[in-house]
Amino acid sequence: MASLRQIAFYGKGGIGKSTTSQNTLAALAEMGNKILIVGCDPKADSTRLILHQKAQDTILSLAAEAGSVEDLEIEDVMKIGFNDIRCVESGGPEPGVGCAGRGVITSINFLEENGAYEGVDYVSYDVLGDVVCGGFAMPIRENKAQEIYIVMSGEMMAMYAANNISKGILKYANSGGVRLGGLVCNERQTDKEYELADSLAKKLGTQLIYFVPRDNIVQHAELRRMTVIEFAPESKQAEHYRNLATKVHGNVGNGKIPTPITMDELEDLLMEHGIMKAVDESEIGKSAAELGLAASA
Amino acid sequence: MSVAAAETIEELKARNKELIKEVLEVYPEKTAKRRAKHLGAFEEGKPDCGVKSNIKSIPGVMTIRGCAYAGSKGVVWGPIKDMIHISHGPVGCGQYSWASRRNYYIGTTGVDTFGTMQFTSDFQEKDIVFGGDKKLAKIIDEIQDLFPLNKGISVQSECPIGLIGDDIEAVSKAKSKEYEGKTIVPVRCEGFRGVSQSLGHHIANDSIRDWVFDKQEGKAARFEPSPYDVAIIGDYNIGGDAWSSRILLEEMGLRVVSQWSGDGTIAELEATPRAKLNVLHCYRSMNYISRHMEEKYGIPWIEYNFFGPSKIAESLRKIASHFDDTIKEGAEAVIAKYQPLMDAVIAKYRPRLEGKKVMLYVGGLRPRHVIGAYEDLGMEIIGTGYEFGHNDDYQRTTHYVKDGTLIYDDVTGYEFEKFVEKIQPDLVGSGIKEKYVFQKMGVPFRQMHSWDYSGPYHGYDGFAIFARDMDMAINSPVWKFAKAPWAA
Amino acid sequence: MPQNADNVLDHFNLFRQPEYKEMFENKKKNFENPVPDPELERVREWTKTEEYREKNFAREALTVNPAKACQPLGAVFASLGFEKTIPFVHGSQGCVAYYRSHFSRHFKEPTSCVSSSMTEDAAVFGGLNNMIDGLANTYNMYKPKMISVSTTCMAEVIGDDLNAFIKTSKEKGSVPQEYDVPFAHTPAFVGSHITGYDNVMKGIVEHFWDGKAGTAPKLERVANEKINFIGGFDGYTVGNIREIKRIFNSMGVEYTIFGDNSDVWDTPTDGEFRMYDGGTTLEDAANAIHARATISMQQYCTEKTLPLIANHGQDTVAFNHPIGVNGTDEFLMAISRISGKPISEELTKERGRLVDAIADSAAHIHGKKFAIYGDPDLCLGLTAFLLELGAEPVHVLSTNGGKAWAEKTEKLLASSPFGKDCHVYAGKDLWHMRSLLFTEPVDFLIGNTYGKYLERDTGTPLIRIGFPIFDRHHYHRYPVWGYQGAMNVLVWILDKIFDEIDRNTNVVAKSDYSFDIIR
Repeated sequence: MASLRQIAFYGKGGIGKSTTSQNTLAALAEMGNKILIVGCDPKADSTRLILHQKAQDTILSLAAEAGSVEDLEIEDVMKIGFNDIRCVESGGPEPGVGCAGRGVITSINFLEENGAYEGVDYVSYDVLGDVVCGGFAMPIRENKAQEIYIVMSGEMMAMYAANNISKGILKYANSGGVRLGGLVCNERQTDKEYELADSLAKKLGTQLIYFVPRDNIVQHAELRRMTVIEFAPESKQAEHYRNLATKVHGNVGNGKIPTPITMDELEDLLMEHGIMKAVDESEIGKSAAELGLAASA
Repeated sequence: MSVAAAETIEELKARNKELIKEVLEVYPEKTAKRRAKHLGAFEEGKPDCGVKSNIKSIPGVMTIRGCAYAGSKGVVWGPIKDMIHISHGPVGCGQYSWASRRNYYIGTTGVDTFGTMQFTSDFQEKDIVFGGDKKLAKIIDEIQDLFPLNKGISVQSECPIGLIGDDIEAVSKAKSKEYEGKTIVPVRCEGFRGVSQSLGHHIANDSIRDWVFDKQEGKAARFEPSPYDVAIIGDYNIGGDAWSSRILLEEMGLRVVSQWSGDGTIAELEATPRAKLNVLHCYRSMNYISRHMEEKYGIPWIEYNFFGPSKIAESLRKIASHFDDTIKEGAEAVIAKYQPLMDAVIAKYRPRLEGKKVMLYVGGLRPRHVIGAYEDLGMEIIGTGYEFGHNDDYQRTTHYVKDGTLIYDDVTGYEFEKFVEKIQPDLVGSGIKEKYVFQKMGVPFRQMHSWDYSGPYHGYDGFAIFARDMDMAINSPVWKFAKAPWAA
Repeated sequence: MPQNADNVLDHFNLFRQPEYKEMFENKKKNFENPVPDPELERVREWTKTEEYREKNFAREALTVNPAKACQPLGAVFASLGFEKTIPFVHGSQGCVAYYRSHFSRHFKEPTSCVSSSMTEDAAVFGGLNNMIDGLANTYNMYKPKMISVSTTCMAEVIGDDLNAFIKTSKEKGSVPQEYDVPFAHTPAFVGSHITGYDNVMKGIVEHFWDGKAGTAPKLERVANEKINFIGGFDGYTVGNIREIKRIFNSMGVEYTIFGDNSDVWDTPTDGEFRMYDGGTTLEDAANAIHARATISMQQYCTEKTLPLIANHGQDTVAFNHPIGVNGTDEFLMAISRISGKPISEELTKERGRLVDAIADSAAHIHGKKFAIYGDPDLCLGLTAFLLELGAEPVHVLSTNGGKAWAEKTEKLLASSPFGKDCHVYAGKDLWHMRSLLFTEPVDFLIGNTYGKYLERDTGTPLIRIGFPIFDRHHYHRYPVWGYQGAMNVLVWILDKIFDEIDRNTNVVAKSDYSFDIIR
C-alpha cells in the first residue's frame, strides 16, 4: 500500500483525454503494474477501450438501483479488462440534472472504504473537462492523486482549460500534497504546437512530459474499442504511448506546484507564437460582414 | 459605579457604551468592527435605534438566527393546517421543526389536517446526484393516494434543492394539472438564501401571491361579503394567540374571514383578497403580502398590537377607525367589558412585578410589541434586540423604548451572556437556546417565542396569562437556592 | 367572560369555554371549507384498514413522521463529549439553530455549537473564507480547547474539503498550527444521526492517534490495562455514563469514557453558566490508543470507528444498547474477561435485586404485547429486555435500521418463544407504525415523544423511552444501562401498565371492581 501511486488525468472535453489515459495505463500495465482506473466523468467513457464495451455499469447507477452505496459490493462495480486492469466508472446524472460533482465524492469514498485500492500499484482518475466545483476536485484532495497530468493540445481553449486546471491544483497544493506532473500534448497539428505546449508548460512551472503525435491508427483502434497497445502493439504509436508511460512512471516525486498565468499572459503567449494576432481594438464585436471578410466554411 | 445600578440616563448610556466596548474586545479586529455596528443604545429623538440590521451573520460567533427554510416552512406555511408541507431535501430540517412551534389548530390530524406531522422526501445520496424531481413527483402521487382529503401541497426547499438545480416549479405545475388544478406551491426557501429567517418569510409571501392568489382570479367567493370583513395577518396562533385575538375582533362586530396563518386553511388564504381591511400583527413576516394586497386589490392594512391592555385598547380603536360607528361603539364596549378583568390582573400582579427590569431578544415583532404589556405591569425594558429585524423594525421600535435602552441586533451568544451577566436584569425573555444559559446564572427567564409552553399571550385573555407567567418566573422560590448557603 | 384574575385559565382550559367553542365552530363552518363530516369519518376509518396499510407500505418516495434525524445532529453530540470542545458546523447557519434547540428541548440544558454561516455567495465560491473567519472568531470568543468541525448538506453538495480548508485556515492564523481541529464530513443525505456520531468519533480517533492530519507524528501504541468505553448517541447519556463509571469503579477497572457528555448536559444552577463542563480530556483521548480494548455500547453508532480502533491493535467489543439481565451480564463479563478483574460483589448483588424485582412484577408484564421503535441499537436492547420479562414484542421498527440490523433483530426474536410472532421493520416510519397498530394492535407502545401522536390516534398507551423526549422531564438523568438502569426501565413499563389498569377500572358502578389497592 505504501507504494500506491495515485495519478489523475484532467483536460478539456474532447481533447482525447480518455484515449491518452487508457493507452498510457495499458502501457503501464504491460510494464507489470497493477492498475485501477476510476472514471470520474458522468459520461462513463474512461474505461471502454480497456473493457471493449461502451459504458460499464457505474457505481452511481447501481447504487441508485440498490438504494444506496452501502448496498453495493465492490465486485458489483469493478470490471477487469485488458492486462488485468481493474476498471470502475463513477457515472452520474444525465446532463442538466442533479449534482455530478457530489457523485464523484460518493464514488471515491465508496471505493476507499471498500478496499478497492488494496493490491494495486496505480490508481488513475480520469476526470471531466474542468474543475467546475468541489466535487470534481475530489481526486486532487489530500491523500488522493499525487500527480496530475493535463492532457491538452495547441488550441486556445485547450490551453485555457489547462491553465484553469492548474489553478484548481494550486488551491490544494499548498495544504495537501497534490502536484502537477506535467502536460501531455495530444497533437492536433495546429501551428507550432510543440513549441506552444512547451512554453505553456514552462509558464505553468512544469514540463511537457510528452508530445503524442497524431496517427490514424488511434481511430482504428478506437472503433474497435481497443487501446493501440492492444490493437497494434507493434505500431509506432504504441511505442509513443509506451514512452509516455515510462516517463510518467519515472516522474514520481517530480511534480511541481503549478504557477497558473493570467488570461492576458496566456494571450501574450499565443501571440508570441503567432497563434493569435494582436487584435485591432476597433474590430472587436464586429461581424464578418461588417469587417468585409468572406465567410469561411 | 456598579453596572447593575446605573442611576441617571447619562450614567446608563455611559454604562452601556462601556459594556459594548468590553464585549467587542474579545473579537478579532475585523469582527469587532462588524459587530460594533449592531450594538448601541437608543438615543431619544433619533429615527431608528442606531444599529445596522439584516446583514449576514458572522461565521463562528454563535448567532441565534435560523434560516430561510425556518422562515417559510416553520413560520409562514407550516401552520396552514389542511395542506401538506413537504420538507424537500434531507430528513433533518423537517425533523427539528416538527410540531415544535406550537401553532395550535383544530382538526383530525392525518386525515383532514396535517399540522403536527413531518412529511419529508428524506433525500439520499442518489437523489442529490441524480436530482430529486422524479422523487418529488412520486411523493405528490403518494400524498394524493394516502391523504386524499388534503387541500393543497407546498414544497419547502431545503439547501440541496437549489444547489443541484432541481426544477420544483415544473414538477408542481405538471402535478397540479394532473390533479385538476390542485394547489401545489413550490417554495424556494433553501436555507442558505439570505441572512436569516427573514428572507424565508418574504419568499413564502411571494409564493402565496404567485401560486395561491393568482390561481383564484375570477373564481366566486365561498361566502357573501360583509362590510365588516377583516383578515388577521401575521398571527401564528402560538398557544392560541390568534384565537384570543379573533374573539375580540368578533366581539366588536367585525367578521374575521381569514387567519394567517395560525389555524389557517387554504380556503382562508384564498378568501383574503375579499377582506375590507387586513390587520397585521407580525409586520416583519407578512408585510410583503399585505402591501401586495393593498396594491393589487386595494385592501388597506394596519398594524396592531394585542399585548397588554394599553396597546390592545389603542389597537382596537385604531382598527375601529376604519369602520363605521357600530364598530367604533363595539370597540368601546369591548374595552369596557374587559376593563374590570384587566384592573384585577394588574392589581394582583403589578405589586409583585413593579420596577422589575427586563431584557429581551426575540424575533419578528416581539422585541417591541411586548414592551407595552411589561409596562402595564410596571416593569421596565432595559435592553432589546431582533434576531432578524430590518431597519423598519428598528424605526418602529423607537416608539416603544426609552432613552438609553441597550440595543443588540443579531446578538451573539457571547454578547448576550456578557450583557446579562453585567446588567443582572430581573428577567430575560428570549428563546430555547438561551433559556438555560440564563437560568444557570440564576436569572429568571421566559421563552418569548413559544411562551414557554404556556399562552396565549395575545388579547385580554392572554394578558392575564402573561402576567401570571412573568410573576411565576420572577417570583419562583427556586432562585433563592441558586447559591448554596455555605458558598462565598 | 371565561378569564379570571384569581384563577387564570391558560390554553389548557381557556379554549374549552363556550365562547371559544362557538367561535371555533363558526370559523370552521363559514370560512374553512371543511370536509363534510361523513366524508371525514369515512376516510378516518379507512386509514385504519388493512387496505390502507397495504397502500401505506407500498410507499416508495414519501416519508411521514420518521424516527431519525440527520448526521450533523449526531456529529454535534459526539463533539460535545470532549473537554472544552465546541462543535463547529460548516454550512448553513439555520441547521445549527435546529440542533441546539433540539438538544435543549430534550436535556433542558444549554447546547453550545457554532456555524460557519454560509450563504449564497459561499454556495457559489465555496466556504473557505467562512472557515477562516469562523475558526478565528470561535477560538477568540469562546476559548475552547478544541474545535470539532463537521458539515451540513450544503457544504457537502458543493464539495468543500475540510482537511484543506482547516490547513489553510491555520496558515492564515485563524488558530495556532498545533491547535486541535479534528473534522468529519457528515452529509445529511447519508445515514442518520447515528452515522454522524460515528463519523465524528472516527475523525477524533484519527486526529489524535494518526498524526493530526499529517501535522504530528502518529502515536505508537504501548498497550496498557485500560478499557475505552464509547456510549454512542444516547438520550440517557447523563444517567448512563455516570452509571457506567460506577460500574467500572466497582470492579476496579481502569477506563476512559471516550466521549463523555454526562456533565455538559447536566450543569448546576448555581449562578454560573458553564459553557463547558466535564468531557473526555484531550490527553485521555490521545492516550486511549494504548488501551487494551474498546467497548462500544452501540454497534450501529460505531460501525466505522470500531474497526479503525481494532486496526490499531486493540480488542473491540460491540453491544446493542444492552438493557436487562442478560445484556448487562454479557457487558460485565466482557469487562471482566478483558480486564481480568472479577465482577464485584456489589454488582452481583444488584443483579440479584433486579431479578428479584422482575420476579415480583413479571406477572403483570407476561404476555403483554408491545410495539417498539427507535434507533437500531436501542430497539435491540429493549426487545431483549421485553423477552426476558415474558412480554411479547409484536412490531419492532427502526427508521434508521438497515438490513443487517433487521437480521440481527430477527435472530434475537427467534431465540425466545416470546418473540415468535414479532415482525421487524427496517427503514419504515411512524406512519407505517400507525397502520401496524391499527391492523395488528398491541397493548403498549415504546418510543420517543413523537409516539404520543400514535397513542392519540390508535389508543395504544405510550411508554416514553428513546430520543427525543420533549414532553416529559428529567428521564435523561436516569440510567437505562446496568442492572440499576434495567430497574428504571422496568419501573417505567410497570407504571404505565398499572396506570392503564386503573384507568380501565375506575368508572363507578360500571367497572369499579378490579380497581384494587394492592397489585
